[in-house]
Formats: sequence, structure tokens, C-alpha cells
Amino acid sequence: MIGGLFIYNHKGEVLISRVYRDDIGSQIADSALFSSSSLRHSPVDAFRVNVIHARQQVRSPVTNIARTSFFHVKRSNIWLAAVTKQNVNAAMVFEFLYKMCDVMAAYFGKISEENIKNNFVLIYELLDEILDFGYPQNSETGALKTFITQQGIKSQTKEEQSQITSQVTGQIGWRREGIKYRRNELFLDVLESVNLLMSPQGQVLSAHVSGRVVMKSYLSGMPECKFGMNDKIVIEKQGKGTADETSKSGKQSIAIDDCTFHQCVRLSKFDSERSISFIPPDGEFELMRYRTTKDIILPFRVIPLVREVGRTKLEVKVVIKSNFKPSLLAQKIEVRIPTPLNTSGVQVICMKGKAKYKASENAIVWKIKRMAGMKESQISAEIELLPTNDKKKWARPPISMNFEVPFAPSGLKVRYLKVFEPKLNYSDHDVIKWVRYIGRSGIYETRC
Amino acid sequence: MPYLGSEDLVKELKKALCNPHIQADRLRYRNVIQRVIRHMTQGLDMSGVFMEMVKASATVDIVQKKLVYLYMCTYAPLKPDLALLAINTLCKDCSDPNPMVRGLALRSMCSLRMPGVQEYIQQPILNGLRDKASYVRRVAVLGCAKMHNLHGDSEVDGALVNELYSLLRDQDPIVVVNCLRSLEEILKQEGGVVINKPIAHHLLNRMSKLDQWGQAEVLNFLLRYQPRSEEELFDILNLLDSFLKSSSPSVVMGATKLFLILAKKFPHVQTDVLVRVKGPLLAACSSESRELCFAALCHVRQILHSLPGHFSSHYKKFFCSYSEPHYIKLQKVEVLCELVNDENVQQVLEELRGYCTDVSADFSQAAIFAIGGIARTYTDQCVQILTELLGLRQEHITTVVVQTFRDLVWLCPQCTEAVCQALPGCEENIQDSEGKQALIWLLGVHGERIPNAPYVLEDFVENVKSETFPAVKMELLTALLRLFLSRPAECQDMLGRLLYYCIEEEKDMAVRDRGLFYYRLLLVGIDEVKRILCSPKSDPSLGLLEDPAERPVNSWASDFNTLVPVYGRARWATISKCQGAKHHGPELPNTASFATSGTLIPEENKETIQELPDSGALMLVPNLQLTAEYFEKTWLSLKVAHQQVLPWQGAVHADTLQMALQVVNIQTIAMSRAGARPWKAYLSAQDDTGCLFLTELLLEPENSEIQITVKQNEARMETLNSFISVLETVIGTIGNIKS
Repeated sequence: MIGGLFIYNHKGEVLISRVYRDDIGSQIADSALFSSSSLRHSPVDAFRVNVIHARQQVRSPVTNIARTSFFHVKRSNIWLAAVTKQNVNAAMVFEFLYKMCDVMAAYFGKISEENIKNNFVLIYELLDEILDFGYPQNSETGALKTFITQQGIKSQTKEEQSQITSQVTGQIGWRREGIKYRRNELFLDVLESVNLLMSPQGQVLSAHVSGRVVMKSYLSGMPECKFGMNDKIVIEKQGKGTADETSKSGKQSIAIDDCTFHQCVRLSKFDSERSISFIPPDGEFELMRYRTTKDIILPFRVIPLVREVGRTKLEVKVVIKSNFKPSLLAQKIEVRIPTPLNTSGVQVICMKGKAKYKASENAIVWKIKRMAGMKESQISAEIELLPTNDKKKWARPPISMNFEVPFAPSGLKVRYLKVFEPKLNYSDHDVIKWVRYIGRSGIYETRC
Repeated sequence: MPYLGSEDLVKELKKALCNPHIQADRLRYRNVIQRVIRHMTQGLDMSGVFMEMVKASATVDIVQKKLVYLYMCTYAPLKPDLALLAINTLCKDCSDPNPMVRGLALRSMCSLRMPGVQEYIQQPILNGLRDKASYVRRVAVLGCAKMHNLHGDSEVDGALVNELYSLLRDQDPIVVVNCLRSLEEILKQEGGVVINKPIAHHLLNRMSKLDQWGQAEVLNFLLRYQPRSEEELFDILNLLDSFLKSSSPSVVMGATKLFLILAKKFPHVQTDVLVRVKGPLLAACSSESRELCFAALCHVRQILHSLPGHFSSHYKKFFCSYSEPHYIKLQKVEVLCELVNDENVQQVLEELRGYCTDVSADFSQAAIFAIGGIARTYTDQCVQILTELLGLRQEHITTVVVQTFRDLVWLCPQCTEAVCQALPGCEENIQDSEGKQALIWLLGVHGERIPNAPYVLEDFVENVKSETFPAVKMELLTALLRLFLSRPAECQDMLGRLLYYCIEEEKDMAVRDRGLFYYRLLLVGIDEVKRILCSPKSDPSLGLLEDPAERPVNSWASDFNTLVPVYGRARWATISKCQGAKHHGPELPNTASFATSGTLIPEENKETIQELPDSGALMLVPNLQLTAEYFEKTWLSLKVAHQQVLPWQGAVHADTLQMALQVVNIQTIAMSRAGARPWKAYLSAQDDTGCLFLTELLLEPENSEIQITVKQNEARMETLNSFISVLETVIGTIGNIKS
């Protein structure tokens, strides 16, 4: 259980503090809330001194100060810390903090100091509903909406009251009854982030794709949905009858290393038939999360060439090759080539895009707006170095890349998404469906 | 700004709250209240407006109500008499037609934390437990726990407990979970909520209806349930199987723990479970949620302690990325160090070598220590890498490498030669105290193999006046004296100078005393100095103490998914007040008593050592290196020279036995695993004339005796007898400790 929850800004000032239990030391509550003089000795303050203001890098997201455990998560320059004295399980506390961030983001967008200050009443309200006596309660954004009264000036109408009752007694926690839409629509986003670690010789050291299927559903009633994709196991099962189909589609199916689902998916059905069926929550939610490691389409190859000319000059040549269908366009490409600390000047020549040496970041940043598939582009740079007597050899950091491509690097394809709602009079054909694939770079590094 | 001038501010807010114009305008009124709350969060004392805030609670505006209740919960302990005024409004709200208002009022009332409030909240809580809206029931159930907390050590209300047990059948899943939590707190004195068969089965059936927090918590409560039969046990495991693949890592971990504990007696099921969570754990380890990733890595390390090969084929998953946070990199290096095996050692070392030159000195040092750890098994490759690192001539690298060498030479004597060759020249790149101490120690102990050792030490002696760390000076004294014993001609002069300095000029008392001690020791005679200073130069058996071999899964299953793997067992023990018994697995030998037997030989053993020199003039050679193959060959070729049976009780604590034998210079060649039946061990020893003693220990627990078979390569009765008496003494003492 969680004894208290605190939100700090980057200076270590407490923006939000909510204490659920006395055991985390009443001095925490007292000092954070009442007297500024004893503030100096409280564990909350110790957290600021030991973690937020610490000179070295953070050694662990779990810190123990005065027998009290602080679990912290950092979002931009905001620190969220859950505090407890009990022997809790760390995974759950962190998951709860992520959930908290998600819920807050759903209400007021980005988690920033300004947003938190402007919405502190709302945050207290949320904290009240999500946690009681330190125990997590209802945390589904959709279901919470009925309890949170941010702009509810009036006492509630009859209809809303009955909604609460149906919501709190309903069988399904994630969807309320009686949802109606004039247009039944659903949006499916396949969002993947591709991670790569490549050796200077072009050998893949490790690569994996972590993907999410995010669904936005605007459907009336209690619809039953069925989702299908080119999962290798399913396709092989189906293809047993017709052998030629297996050979045709076998190439396009993908092997999923592991996947997890939103609570609404019936796991028993997935285990037995490997079919994904569910009653979706209303609005946006994450249907599944998966990871693949085999046959990943690496959208870009980076070929680095670094030559040291004497002690004061460095020649760098980097070629990037795009490796996908020529008809597709990659966007927001950014290559970051690190330079030594004693760089005095840089001359860059690139065929495409813009490249700039950013002294503050010790890197040449090369940006290309768009690039089609099966193309290649190169940049060459001459780096002049200041002579130093520092014998330290430059530990070449890897070249990293960012990009966005309109396909799924894992090769995942959505085969179908069927909607059945027996009680209302709309069928699968009436639902407007949108599918989109976005592949982004995660940690995409090539050593040089 | 917010900390100063609060009095004016309170006055102003008070005025605003009393202003009838503002009170009439709901939005403005609410704004003023919001300002009060904002200042309260910033640490200002806002208790001055308590009275006005209580008045503000009598409103139909639910937003305003929430704000006021939040304020009241914070300040009620400071103004208990005024808070009683608010009770009336709260009680009224508890019977409001709107379930949300009822819940809110009840929750606030239970959180007031002031003396005397119990009598007011008892009735509303009881009503709340039977409310038709589950929202109110959820609040009321937890309210019971809060009320109990307020009472402190008062006795448990039986009727209330029964009511809560019956609410476990509530149709709202959150009410069910809250009931468990509440009962757990109320019944803490009696060992928490009781999970009997009907409750356990009921909970199991409701599992899929719960949200992730509920599932994680219920899995934790189910740990208490002991299935009656094997059949029931496997039914439960089948039912919960799908939770091993849940989307929430905390549920996965909770389920894993439950499986490990329930299948305590079925090691193959445990192994199977660990294989099945491999995927989810690896996914968590490479997830974008850094903190979760950290927690998962800690648990991976825990699993690796028992199943070292478990993640070996996935070693690449634990390679560090440049942009990962520091704490993840450090964990990954630890994991890499533990999963190394014959197939991947080359790649892992290659990767670790890359980390050694990382810009972060902290990280590079961790990588070097990791290579040092691997060197205990793959000595040659690692020593080569470490030697190459010395060539970089970087201070922060050199110092750690030398420290690693120091530890390595102690544990793996076979690498001494290589280390001694690598050392010359590093003294230029060491500045810090730790590194200097390590270098000086090495020069002192192995100085006879390092040609320039006296000259390096001479430099240190020259600069001893400007040396700031007393520990370095102490190390220097000892090292120089040791070197003096092996290379007297080169050291005598500077030893004199150093002793003179330490005794006459040094200000640190410890250093001065050490200097005086050595001076007086030298006066006694060189033989006495040798006896005291020439201790063994290495002790491979200590390696076992450093990382005890595979631990059984059951020894840590109860710690899985708690903070213990995150902090480490030792640190957790110091953190938790109730350290000890609870956190020690029953199978684990008591490590505390171990440490003492390692450093300060226990009383009984001491006697045996002193007996040794005069017991039939048997002198066993220390550090006998005998390979298992050679032992086997000799064992098979020899006849039994002596056979004997000794009494023995209980199981064998292999490490204790090994330690004790080590003390009397008997080497252990091989041993069966702890708990194996029959248990066997093979020992070897050699005396100063070159006579080998090979021994087999055979323990059959039913007979409660241990059988000793000794073979000898030269038939000599008198040495055989004295060897057997030594062995008898050791086994006798160890056997007695156990019984």
C-alpha cells in the first residue's frame, strides 16, 4: 500500500502532497504542510536533497531514506514520488505511478509544472478517487469520468446519478451501458518502436520491435469485437487445409515473441483459439502490446566511417540507406553524430537535408524532412580538434537516429476487425474503420 | 514568497470567505476556497480559517464540498474542537440521496484523524456497509480499517469482522478486495485475514473480474492458502495459468510468486514456471518504462542465483544502450556477469570491454568489477582484457583494475604470474586511496616476483609526508615489512626510514601504533616476524563465501515480488526493523555464523591447529593443487588403507565442513549437493614428505553415521594414524556443532 504521494518540480518544491497513512511519519505530513522550519528534517525533504538535487546520476528509482521507500518516476522535469514504509511490490507501485500519469494526461494533456499548478484541484480529486487509505481503487479513465466533477457547478441531474449507480454495480468495469453514437466509427493505430544496436561492422547486436495496438472506439451499445492479424501461429493453423496458401502467406506472417492485452480481451479464448475478442471500452485504449525480435525490417542502415587525421583533425563520413518500398516516405529523419569534447570547428557537406554542428550537445545534427525508400544519402564532415594534453581517448559514443515511417517494421498487418452488436440495429458493414501504421525509432544506435 | 507573510494572507482570505457577496456568487466563493487549498499545499499554515471553511461545507455544490473536506482532513488534528462542528454536516451528507455525496462524506469523516471521532463514525460506517451503492460500500469497508487504526490497540469488534467476512461475497469486485485489505489490517495482531478453502475458491473464481490492482493483491493473499491435496493444488495452478501472461507486470510477478510458493515441493513445476515467465520478464526488461525495467532486472538477477543458465541464450537483451539511464546500465552489467557461460563468454567480455571506456567513470568501474567477477571462472581471458585496460593509462580505470587484481590474486592464485607482469608502470596512474592500497598490498605480498617492487615502494616512502590517507600509510608499513622478509637487501634502508617517520613524526595514532608494533616485533627476531606476517597468499575457498553456489528456489521464493530483490537481501535486513528470522529461508545456512568461522576460527578448531605440529609430526602442505582427474586416477589405482565409522547427526553443511578442512590443510576435491542421499565427499591432502592421503566421506542419514575411507600412496602407518586423528577431530567438532 502507498503511504503518500508527492509531486515535485525540478527545483524540488512540493507541488502536490497527499498523505494517506500516518505510518510514513507524521513529520512528513506536518512539515510538508505546516511549518517551514521543520521541513529541513523530514524524509520528503531528504528525498529532495538525496535524489532531486543529487550531483551524480540517479542510482536507483527506489530510494530508501530513514526506513521509508521512495519510488519515483520522472516525466519531463516533474518528479512523482510514492512513499511507503511497507514491504510492497515494486512493479505494482511503478505501474500505479504510470497509471496516474496516464490519467492525468487524459485530463489535462502534458504533465508539466504549469499544467499541474493549474489543475491541482482536479489532481486532488483524482487522488481521492484513485487511492483510498493507500490502496488503489478504480483507475480506468473512462469509469472515473463519472466521479470527477471538475466543472460540475450544479448538483447532478437525475440521469447522471443513475449513471453512477449503473456504473458502480455494472458487471464490466471498463464500459458503461447506454452509449449511443450517430456514426459508429473506430480507429486502429499500430504504433511500433524499433530498437537497434549495431556494431561498426554492420552486424546487428540486438534488435527488437515493441509495438502497441491503440484503438479509439466510438461504437453504440455493447459491441463484441474480433481482431485478426497476421500472427504466424494463426495463419499456420488456418493454412493446414490448403497447403499453397501457407506458402503464399507464410512469408508475410510474423512471429510474436510475447504479447499482452487490455483487461477487456478474453484471454481464455486467446489461449485456446488464439483469437482476440473483446468488448471495447469507450474512447481510446491500448488493445495490445507485443514484442518481436525476428525478421525485423530495419528501415535505415547507417554506415559510419571515422578517420583520425593526425591529432587535430577528424574526418567523418556517414551514409544512410533507406530500406523499404520506394513508394513510401519516411519523415522527421534525424541523425545525431557525436563529436569529441575538444572540437573547435566543423565543416559539413551533405547532399540532402540540413546539418548543423551543435556545440552545446557535442554533436552534428543532420535533419532530413522526407526520404523515399531504397534511397541513400550521405554526409561528410571535417572536425577540427583543439590539441589537448588530456590523454583520455575519445570514447566514441554511438550514432543515433530518429525517424518515422508509415509501416510497421515488425511486418504486422491487421487482417480484420469485426464488430457485432446483436441488440442494436447496426452491422459490421455500417461501422467506419480506419487503420494506420506508424513505425518510430526507439533506441536506434550504430556504434562507430 | 509563500512562506512569508502568511498572517496577512490568512486575514485577507478570512475576510473574503465571510463576505456575503462572495458567498452568494458560487464561482467566486469556490475560487477563494481554491486559493486556501493552494496555499495549504505550498506549506502555509491555513488553519486560521478553519471556522469559515466549516461553514462553507454546508453547500449543495459538490466541487466545493470536496475542496472543503480535503481541507478539513488536513487540519482536523490541529483543531479538534472546531472539527466537531463539521461532523454534523458530514453526518447529514452520509444520508444524502446521491451515492457520490454519501461516499465522499463517509470517506472524509473516516480520514479526520482526531481523538473522539470514533463514536460519531461508527454508525455511518455500519450503514455504509449495507448501502445499496457499491461506491459507498467500498468506502465504508476501508473505513472500518481506518476506524481500527484510530482506536490503536483496542480490541477487535467481532461483529464487524463477521460482517466484513460476509461482504467478501459482494458482487462488486473492488468491495471484495477492499474487504481483504481491511480485514488484514484489523486482524494484524492475529496474523491477518484467514483464507480458508471456501474463501480461496471464491476468490479464485472472481479473479478475472478484478482490475489489475485487485488481481495483484488477491494473488498476494492467496499465498496464505494451503491446498489440502495435490489435486487441488494443480487445479489452482491451472486456473491461474493465464495470469502468468497478464498485461500488467505486477500481476505476472504476483502469479509467479504464488506458483513458486504453492509448488514448493515440486521443483520441476517451479522450473517450468520460471521458463514460462521468461518471455514476460524479458519484455519488461526491454520495455520503455525505465523504472519497471529496473524492477524486472532486479528479479532477473534473483532468478539467476538459482538457475544460472536461465537467461544465457538471451544475453544480448542485456547489452546496454548508450542512452539508457544509469541505474539500468548498472543492473544490466550485473546480470551479464551472472549469466556468462562457455558459449557466450567471448561476446559478453567483448561488450563489457566496450563499457570500460564509457564516459561515466562510475559505469566504467562497474564494468571492470564485472570483468573481475567473471575472471573467477574464466581467468585467462579476463586478465588479458584487464591488462590491456592498464595500457590506456587512465586514472579512474587503472585504480579499479588494480583493485580487481588484488581480489583476483587472492581467489585465483593461478593468475598471480600474469598479474605480476602487468603491474609495473601502473603506479603513475593511481591517485586515490583505494587504488594505492591495492597496489601496495600486491607489491608487498608478491614483491619477490615483481622486479621493481622495492623501487615503487621507495617512491611511496619518499612521499609519505604528503600522503593524506592514514590507511595508505598502514598498508605501506605492512607491505614494506613483508617485502623486507623476501628481499632484505633492497628494503632495509627504506624500512628504517619509514619506521622512523611513522614513530617520530606521524600524527595519526593508528599509524604510529602500527609502526611501533612492527619496530618491537623486529626487535624480537626475524623468525617471529615471519610467523606473524607470512600468512597464506591466497585462499581459493573464500570464493565460495563470496558467491555461494546455486541457491534453491525455495530460499528466495518468499522474497520474490517484494522490495528484497530491489534493495538486496543484506540491505533490506538493515532497513526492516524485524530483520532476521522471517527473511531467512530455512534451507539457507546461517551466513552470520559463517562469517565468524571464516575470520576467527571457532574455539574447537583452534585447538586442532595447535595440536597439529606435535601430533605425530604430521605436516600437511597448504595449497595442494590436485585436479579431479588425477584424484580419480589415483583413487582407483590404490587400495583401501583404513576404514572407519564416526557418529554424525543431521544434514551436512558443506561450506562449514569445507572451511574447517581447509584450516587443517585438507583440500576438498568434490562434494555432492546439499541434501543428496547418500551424501559423498572426496578429500585430498599431502604431507611434507610427499605422501598423499585420499579420503572418501560417505553419509547415510538413516544410520546417522559417517563412513570414512582413506587411501594412501605410500604405506606408512604412523602418518596414516595421525592423519586419521586430524580428520576425526574435524568431523567430530563439525558433527557436534550440528547436534
